[in-house]
Amino acid sequence: MPKILLVEDNEMNRDMLSRRLQRKGFEVEMATDGRQGVTMAQAAPYDLILMDMSLPEIDGWEAARQLRAAPSTQQVPIIALTAHAMSGDREKAIEAGCDDYDTKPIELERLLGKMRALLDRNGGA
Amino acid sequence: MSRTSRPPSHPRPPAPPGGRRKTPRRSARRRGELARRLGALLKLSVEIGAAPEERAICRTVVTGLNEGLGYDFLGLFLVDEASGDRVLMASVGWPDAPPGFRLPPGRGLTELPLVNGRLHYTPRVAAQARYVPGPNRGSEVDVPIVVDGRTVGVLAVESGAADAFDQDDFEILTAAANQAGLALARARLLAEERRRADEHEALLATMADLSAELELSKLLQATLRRAVTLLGVTGGELAIYDEERQQLEVVASVNIGKDSTGTRLGLGEGAMGRVAQTHEPLLIPEYAEWLGRSTQYADVTVHSVMVAPLLAGSRLVGAFAAVHADPARKFGPADLRLLNMFAPQAAVAIARARLLETERRRADEQRALLETMADLSGELELAKLLQAMLTRATTLLGVTGGELAIYDEAAGELVVVASRNIGTDSAGTRMRLGEGAMGRVAQTHEPLIIPSYGEWEGRSPQYSAAISFAVMAAPLLIGSRLVGAIATVHDDPSRRFGPDDLRRLNLFAPQAAVAIENARLYTAAQRQKQYFEDLVSNSPVAIVVLDRDHRIVSCNPAFESLFGYAPRDAVGRDLDALISTEATRAEAVGYTQHVLEQGPVRGMGRRRRRDGTPVDVEILGVPVVVDGELVGLMGLYHDITELLKARQDAEAANRAKSQFLAHMSHELRTPLNAIIGYSEMVEEEVGDLGHAELAPDLQKIRAAGRHLLALINDILDLSKIEAGKLELFVEPFEVRQVVDEVATTVRPLVEKNANRLELACAPDLGTMRADLVKVRQTLLNLLSNASKFTERGTITLAARREANGDGRDWLVFTVRDSGIGMTPEQMAKLFEAFTQADASTARRYGGTGLGLAITRRFCRMMGGDVRVASEPGKGSTFTVRLPAAVEAPAAAG
Repeated sequence: MPKILLVEDNEMNRDMLSRRLQRKGFEVEMATDGRQGVTMAQAAPYDLILMDMSLPEIDGWEAARQLRAAPSTQQVPIIALTAHAMSGDREKAIEAGCDDYDTKPIELERLLGKMRALLDRNGGA
Repeated sequence: MSRTSRPPSHPRPPAPPGGRRKTPRRSARRRGELARRLGALLKLSVEIGAAPEERAICRTVVTGLNEGLGYDFLGLFLVDEASGDRVLMASVGWPDAPPGFRLPPGRGLTELPLVNGRLHYTPRVAAQARYVPGPNRGSEVDVPIVVDGRTVGVLAVESGAADAFDQDDFEILTAAANQAGLALARARLLAEERRRADEHEALLATMADLSAELELSKLLQATLRRAVTLLGVTGGELAIYDEERQQLEVVASVNIGKDSTGTRLGLGEGAMGRVAQTHEPLLIPEYAEWLGRSTQYADVTVHSVMVAPLLAGSRLVGAFAAVHADPARKFGPADLRLLNMFAPQAAVAIARARLLETERRRADEQRALLETMADLSGELELAKLLQAMLTRATTLLGVTGGELAIYDEAAGELVVVASRNIGTDSAGTRMRLGEGAMGRVAQTHEPLIIPSYGEWEGRSPQYSAAISFAVMAAPLLIGSRLVGAIATVHDDPSRRFGPDDLRRLNLFAPQAAVAIENARLYTAAQRQKQYFEDLVSNSPVAIVVLDRDHRIVSCNPAFESLFGYAPRDAVGRDLDALISTEATRAEAVGYTQHVLEQGPVRGMGRRRRRDGTPVDVEILGVPVVVDGELVGLMGLYHDITELLKARQDAEAANRAKSQFLAHMSHELRTPLNAIIGYSEMVEEEVGDLGHAELAPDLQKIRAAGRHLLALINDILDLSKIEAGKLELFVEPFEVRQVVDEVATTVRPLVEKNANRLELACAPDLGTMRADLVKVRQTLLNLLSNASKFTERGTITLAARREANGDGRDWLVFTVRDSGIGMTPEQMAKLFEAFTQADASTARRYGGTGLGLAITRRFCRMMGGDVRVASEPGKGSTFTVRLPAAVEAPAAAG
């Protein structure tokens, strides 16, 4: 059962997405800001991190950079979640070290597709 | 031959006292005596032939007869043609009668041969009543001296004895007289020749004088003196004919007992008046007794008068009179002949001189006109000019007064603008064309002379009280265009206008017309200049004029209020040095240079006021070109400090609005995400929980949430575009791949309305460099739009690559539908935000109404555009053209 870290400051989004992912069979742990997300990711191994970009304390891009900079989290796939598909968000996210990108509101099937692709890639490696 | 030449071998027989005694004998001695006398006669003939002139001939005859032939008392008379007197030319033995002694007609025996031309012998003189008693009261022979068949003199020989002459004497005396006649004839011919030569010379001298002396009065005086000398008279006078007044005016007077210069004679009055009338010369033996004498000469003592008309051809030029103050001297045919030779020459000379005088007067007039024009050209103020011109005209024409009118084209009337000495101040009087003298000439375009205005049928009631005498008027024309009219008047009833006046007026009128026109143009130009000056000085825009060296020539009050420099502080200074700041100096000089070298320039910049504070201005610079020559430039400065502030405020407000919208959109979206997400989640769960009947309601919640979200996203996009926050991320991608991706995405939507999606892609689409997200969204927008407005139709997405002339490639995407189409009015508003064809469309078809506005903005951001062609009921075609290589903006946002 893949273990997912969901970093999301908004309580309802956190609750909704975590419950839907759990229904699809994922084990979901949650952080409410960037700093906590980095700390948790470094403290325990996750198969994939879903990271909101607009976060308090440190934002998603900075958090992604820190995760990529640390050897323990260097290889963990990160999917950036942004509020809206603005030009450049995707590029900024990739640049910060994210592996993929999706927009909110979440279309669950689309997100699951991206998650599975990354999990397969890492699992296969 | 002199007495001393007498040969001593032939002593003269002693003469009896009182005369030679008749010798009755015809003996051998007498024959010898006859031969000797014939020899003496022959010798006398030779001597006579050698005598050079009349007096010498006469003396030779008398001396020869006395010395060679023994006659002791004799004399030779010649007839004075003028008086008919016999004048003694030479004599011997007559101590009481010196040469020059005269015998008037009716006296003396010597007159007898004159009557019948034959020798006359008076054996006893005492018996003759006509005998003038002399010392020899015996007998007398009078022999005619004939020249050309005419008896011109008498040879008279006396003797103290009665009947002392015989046939031999008659023969000898006749022979001597004949010789004398021949000699006289020859001498007279010679004298005539000489005299003619002298006259000719005198005339030549006169002509030389005359031609050298062009001033008429001096010429006439010289002519008169010449004539007086030539004719050997006491004095004379010369008059010229004044054609206009038909009077002679004495212009030169010599020695006639008074200075008659200036005397005027009517035709027929006095001697000169008479010849002026008859065109024939006239001899008056005694003026005081002459019936035709003029009272103007009653105080003058002259006797014989000779007068001749001076005619040039048949035209009377003047008259000439010569007088003798000596009662003894009379004029004769010879004088008349001389006069007849002289008069025509003098007349021609005078006529020529008058002509020259006229020419000179015309030249003077021309000069006066030139002066007029020169004077007047300095006077461009119309009112003053007109008055000056009228004054000049009245002076030039020698008239009492006049008036000048200009033509008011708009009213079709003449307006009197200057008036002088016409008895009323007519300035301001208006006349219709045809009214009065000026109105008439303005109508006919011909000058007009009115001998008596008071009696003229065309007189204007506006003038009839003031003007009653002669009027001359002329139109003032430029080409055939009426500018005005001029009228001149005489207040003297005796003065009339003649052709000469008309000629002068005609000289003046065109010049006056041009001057008026110039003044009018100048006045108009002045007015226009004033207008522009007012415009400039009242303009709220600061206006400054520079010369080519960037120095200020003038500036207006607005310039002062904007920059703080009054004209006196600014003129002559370099504009850019004066008002630019250190930072904008180069830019300011650049503008100035650009205007001078390339033409108008428009820009904005920061300038400095006199107090050092900056001012933002909009700048317009234009070259100033006068007569094709660049003389400088004009700069216009509009204070846009307020404007800029307003714009900055507006921009700030807009940014704030966009930020607000962006922020609000974000804040709205978070709860919306929850609504959509939870409804989806519950939708997934209701089936599992056995409440499938709730699913449709949950779907509605989700759909409404999705629509609201789309609206919010679009608003966010637009506000970001408007706030300049939307960035362009250019990257290369395969066009075909994007098309396929978009087709896949949109297909479910297309098919929802039972439409078919067709793709028509050219094989050579290749790659393009652009903002992939925006290209994709553009195509999705157009396709979803087409799907919404089409049912059971076809939607075609076509793509092709086009090479344009400059080597740049373009990609052309076309979205065609077979839907409801649009009217031109609908198309016009299509790409504006929040517009759909009409309000009901949104309700029926959904959509935010922002899609096309965003699409167009995306296309334009990438350097392309989107266009639409449509017809109601026939569908629409949207065409997007984008450069294959979009240029990334240097710094967007």
